[in-house]
Amino acid sequence: MTEAQRRIVAEAWAFRTRVEREAADRFIRLATAISSFDVASPVPALMRRAAEDEQRHAALCVELATIYGTSEIGFAKDVPIAPRSLEGRAAVLYEVVAACCITETESVATLTTLLAEEVEPAVEKALRAIARDEVSHGRMGWAHLAREAARYDVSFLSSWIPAMLSGSVEDTLFLEPPEDRDLLRYGVLPPSTKKAIFARTLEEVVVPGLETFGIDGGPARAWLSARIH
Amino acid sequence: MLFRKLFRMLVLGGAAIGANAGCSTAQAQQTTEKKQDARSTMDGGSGAPQDAGAGGGVQGW
Repeated sequence: MTEAQRRIVAEAWAFRTRVEREAADRFIRLATAISSFDVASPVPALMRRAAEDEQRHAALCVELATIYGTSEIGFAKDVPIAPRSLEGRAAVLYEVVAACCITETESVATLTTLLAEEVEPAVEKALRAIARDEVSHGRMGWAHLAREAARYDVSFLSSWIPAMLSGSVEDTLFLEPPEDRDLLRYGVLPPSTKKAIFARTLEEVVVPGLETFGIDGGPARAWLSARIH
Repeated sequence: MLFRKLFRMLVLGGAAIGANAGCSTAQAQQTTEKKQDARSTMDGGSGAPQDAGAGGGVQGW
């Protein structure tokens, strides 16, 4: 492993640490919000458990970041992401769809892909522990969307999906950065693989899922098409 | 194959979890409203983004 590779791997795990910590705070906030308007929902309890999972995941990620040479994890801050024109219940739904139906679903696909590769034992241990929980984190988003869609028309979300998608990826994902497949064993996907997994998960899981609940997938497909094809 | 499995596991699995729980008072109130009314309330009545630049997303793995 070169020094440059070590830096990339360490930063990847430091970034994931921030992602996990931010998710923990977001899930606590969303659990409280959902409890205020849907007292029978199982989702707040799932989110509180997920927040604990995310703190545990963050500890696993920071351990790997440290192994690969960084103690600079950086600061994670949970910021509400719904647009100003959405209020209350609709704003909560926006965040749940962005954080769980899109991001957690994409994370499950990424983790599953990484676990199919030959990775370092310490990396595999962390990936397996995290993957088990991420499935539940994705499901709770779809569970909340299903409950909301059963009560009112959630199709207004369709035009907001591109904003959610733009905020879920780094600008560089759709460029052509250099490939380094050696990094796979340390838990870092080559950019082309990361892009392909993101796109297929969007096309075959997220968009059909949204359409199941009456949210038009057209804007999401157009967003992807403008970046991939 | 992986993606089909993910759809079943996450989307359908999640929907089943959501559907199996009971209804809240808020739900009973909501279901009496017309769907169009609900959407209009949610998005300010336009049915389209009014400040498209303000919505964000969540980065993950």
